[in-house]
Amino acid sequence: MKVLRNIGRRFRQSLHDVAWIFWRELRQTVRDEGVLIFFLLVPLAYPLVYAFIYNDEVVRDVPVAVVDDSRTTRSRDYLRRVDASPDVRVAAYCADMEEARRLMRERRAYGIIYVPATFNDDLMCGRQTYVSIFCDMSGLLYYKALLSSNTYVSLAMNARIKVERLPGLTAEQDKTLAQPLAYEEVSLYNPQNGFAAFLIPAVLVLVIHQTLLLGIGLSAGTARERNRFHELIPVNRHYGGLLRIVLGKSLAYLLVYVPVSVYVLGVVPRLFSLPQIGQPATLALFALPFLLATIFFAMTVSVAVRQRESCMLLVVFTSVPLLFISGISWPGAAVPEFWRVVSWLVPSTFGINGYVRINSMGADLSQVATEWNALWAQAAVYFLTACLVYRAQIHGARRRLLARYRTLRDRRRNLQVQRLKKLS
Amino acid sequence: MAPLLAVARRECQRFARRPLYWFCMIGAPLLCLVFFLTLMASGLPDDLPLGLVDDDATATSRQLARNLDAFQQTDIVACFPTVTEARRAMQRGEIYGFYYIPEGTTRTLQRQEQARVSFYMNYSYLIAGSLLFRDMKTMSELASGAAMQQVMLARGATERQAMALLQPIVIDTHPLGNPWLNYSVYLNNTLLPGVLMLFIFMITVHSLGIEIKEQTSRQWLSLARGSLPVALTGKLLPQTAVFFLVWALIDVVMYGWLRFPCHCGLPVMLGVSLLGVVAAQGMGVFMFGVLPTLRLGLSFASLWGVISFSISGMSFPVMAMHPVLQGLSYLFPLRHYFLLYVNFALNGYGAADIWPHLVGLAAFVLLPLVILRRLKRALLTAKYVP
Repeated sequence: MKVLRNIGRRFRQSLHDVAWIFWRELRQTVRDEGVLIFFLLVPLAYPLVYAFIYNDEVVRDVPVAVVDDSRTTRSRDYLRRVDASPDVRVAAYCADMEEARRLMRERRAYGIIYVPATFNDDLMCGRQTYVSIFCDMSGLLYYKALLSSNTYVSLAMNARIKVERLPGLTAEQDKTLAQPLAYEEVSLYNPQNGFAAFLIPAVLVLVIHQTLLLGIGLSAGTARERNRFHELIPVNRHYGGLLRIVLGKSLAYLLVYVPVSVYVLGVVPRLFSLPQIGQPATLALFALPFLLATIFFAMTVSVAVRQRESCMLLVVFTSVPLLFISGISWPGAAVPEFWRVVSWLVPSTFGINGYVRINSMGADLSQVATEWNALWAQAAVYFLTACLVYRAQIHGARRRLLARYRTLRDRRRNLQVQRLKKLS
Repeated sequence: MAPLLAVARRECQRFARRPLYWFCMIGAPLLCLVFFLTLMASGLPDDLPLGLVDDDATATSRQLARNLDAFQQTDIVACFPTVTEARRAMQRGEIYGFYYIPEGTTRTLQRQEQARVSFYMNYSYLIAGSLLFRDMKTMSELASGAAMQQVMLARGATERQAMALLQPIVIDTHPLGNPWLNYSVYLNNTLLPGVLMLFIFMITVHSLGIEIKEQTSRQWLSLARGSLPVALTGKLLPQTAVFFLVWALIDVVMYGWLRFPCHCGLPVMLGVSLLGVVAAQGMGVFMFGVLPTLRLGLSFASLWGVISFSISGMSFPVMAMHPVLQGLSYLFPLRHYFLLYVNFALNGYGAADIWPHLVGLAAFVLLPLVILRRLKRALLTAKYVP
C-alpha cells in the first residue's frame, strides 16, 4: 500500500514538473520577441509573400520578335494564330534576323519566330516546310510558352492543310484524316499547370519546419547565454527528470504550433485559392507526427547552438537544399541514391511529400502510409536523441558545477590552512 | 593605410577563432556546390515513372506502349487494370502520370475512324509532369502519323509525299545557349550565387552586430582612428577576399570544369562575381545600418536572401509577377547578377545593352554611405538587445 502511494506521489510530482516546465517554456516563448517573430510573424507573413510572388501562376504573352520572309497570306495567318495564343505575344515584326536579334539583346523579345521565304511555295507544292524558332533560355517558361504555342498552331494548320489536299471526303473522313488518333490531355491536381499550386504547398511545410528549427535554436541559445555557466538546462528542482524536461518543452512548442499549422496548412491555400482537396481530419492526423518529429529534431539539433543568433546562420540556408531534396521541384525519381538516403534524415522530406499528396492530390492516410510511418519513426528516434543530448548536457552541467564547487572549496580550505599557519 | 591594415588584421584574428564563420564562409557554400551539382548531375531527369492502362490489349497498343517506354524521359513502371487504380498509384506517389488506351482503339483505327486515347499528368510535380506530358504528346502525334503513313503508303504515295502530307509545317526549335535543356545549367548558375549572397548578407550583418554584442565596437573604431569608412573597409576586405575565392571556385567548377555555357569567357564572369560579392556586402552593411540590432539585422538579411531566389526571376519570370514586385526586384542584388549572367555567359552579348544592371549592382556598393551616420551612432551608443 505504501509502495503504491509512493508511486502515486512520484507520478503526481513528475506531472507537476512537466506542467511547470511547460508553463515556463511557454512564458519564455511569449516574452522573447525573437522567438515570437519566428513562431508567429514569419509563419504568418512568409506564405503571403510567396503566394504574392507566384500569384499569377503562369506566364502569359511572352514577347517574341517575328521575321516573316514569306509575306504571304498563309504566313500571316500562321503568325496571327501564334499572336492569338495565350502564352505568346508578337512584340515586333522585324525586317531581318539582325533586327530581331537586337530586340533579344535588349530583352524586348524572348524569342524569334522565323518564317522562311519558301514557306508558302513549299506548302503549295506539297513539300514540307520548316518554321524556325529561337528561344532565350534564361527561363524555361519562355521556352515552354514559345514551343507550345508554335506546336499547337502548326498542328491545327497541318490538320487543315491535309484536308485541303485530299478533297471529296465526308466530314467524318476529314476528321479521321486530320487526326486518326485523337488524344485528350488531362492535367491532374493542378489544372492550370501553375507555378504557385506546385511550389507553395511545399514552401508552406518548409516554413513550419524552418521556423521551428529557428525558434527552438534561438531559445536554446538564449537559455545558454542567460545562464551564468552557459548551460542549456538550468539547475532547478523541477528540472529533475530527463523525460519531464523534454516532454514539458516539446508540449509547449506543440501548443504554439497547432494554431500556426492550422493557419499555414489550412487557411493559406484557401486564401490564395490553391488546390485544396484533402480531408481536414487526414491532414490533422498527418500534421501531428510531422510536428512532433520536427520539434524533437529541432531540440536535438539545438544543442549545437552556442549563441543566440548563430542558429540563423546555420538554419536559413538549408531551406533551399531541403526544398530540392524533397522531390518537389526536382523530381524525386531523379534524386541520386545518396541524397535520397540523406533526405530521410529530415522531417521536411516526408512532411512535404505527404502534405502535397493529401492537400493537392486528395490522398487519404493509407496512401501516405510510408510518409506517415516514417514521420512517427523519426519522432521516436529524435525523441530518444533529444533525451540523450539533454542527458549529456545535464551530466556535463553537473560535472562542471561540481568541479567549480570543488575548486572553490579547495581554495577556501587552502586559505583556512594558511590562516591557521599564520596564527600558529 | 596603417589603421586599415590594423583593422583587417584584427578581423582575420577574430574570425579565425570562430568555427561558425569557417562554416558559413567556406564549409556551407562548398557543401551546397557539391550538393546541387551532384543532385542535378543528369541535367535532365531521366526515366520518370509512368503508368499504363491498356484496356485495348492488342499488338498495336502494346507497340505504342513500347515506343513510349523507349523515350528518354519516360519509364513505364506498371500496368494498371483500371484508371482508378492508376490514379491511386499517382496519389501514392509511385507514378507521375499515366497513359490510357481505351478498349477498341485498334478496332476503330482499322475501321478508318477516329480513335481517342488520353493521358494524365500530375502537375503537382511540375517538372516531372511537364516532361512526361511532352513525351506522351509526341508519342500520340507519332502514333497518329504512323497510322496515316500506313494508309498513304498503301495508296501508293512515296515516303516524301507521305511525310509532306502528314506534317506540312515542321517546327524547328533552337534553344539558344542551352540546347540540352540542362536543368543544372538553368538552375545552378543562379542558385549557387544566391546561396553565397545569402551568406554574405548574414556574415556581414553578424560581424558588425557582434561588435555591439561583445561591446568591442569602440575598440574597433579607435583602431581605425575613429573613421567608420576605414573601419568598415578594413573589416570587410578580408571577408571580400574569402567570399570571392569561394565564388571564383564555383565559377571555375561550373565554367571551367563542367563546361557550362560561358560565351564571355571565365575572366568576365570572375569580374561579375567580384562585383556580386562587394554588392552583397554593401547591402549587408545597409541592412545592419537600417536595423542595428544583431537579431533584427540578421532577420532582414535572411528574408532578403531567401526571397532573392524567387524574385530574381530564375525560375518564375519577373514579367509574370505583380508590377509592384517587378519594381521591387531591382532592390535585390541577385536579380542584377542573374541578368548579367544571362547576358554575358549564357547569351554572349556585349555590355552595350546590359550596363544599367552593371550600374545597378555597383550602386549596392555605395549603399552604406546612406546610413553611415546612423551606423556610427549605433556602434558608439547602442546596447545589445537580445
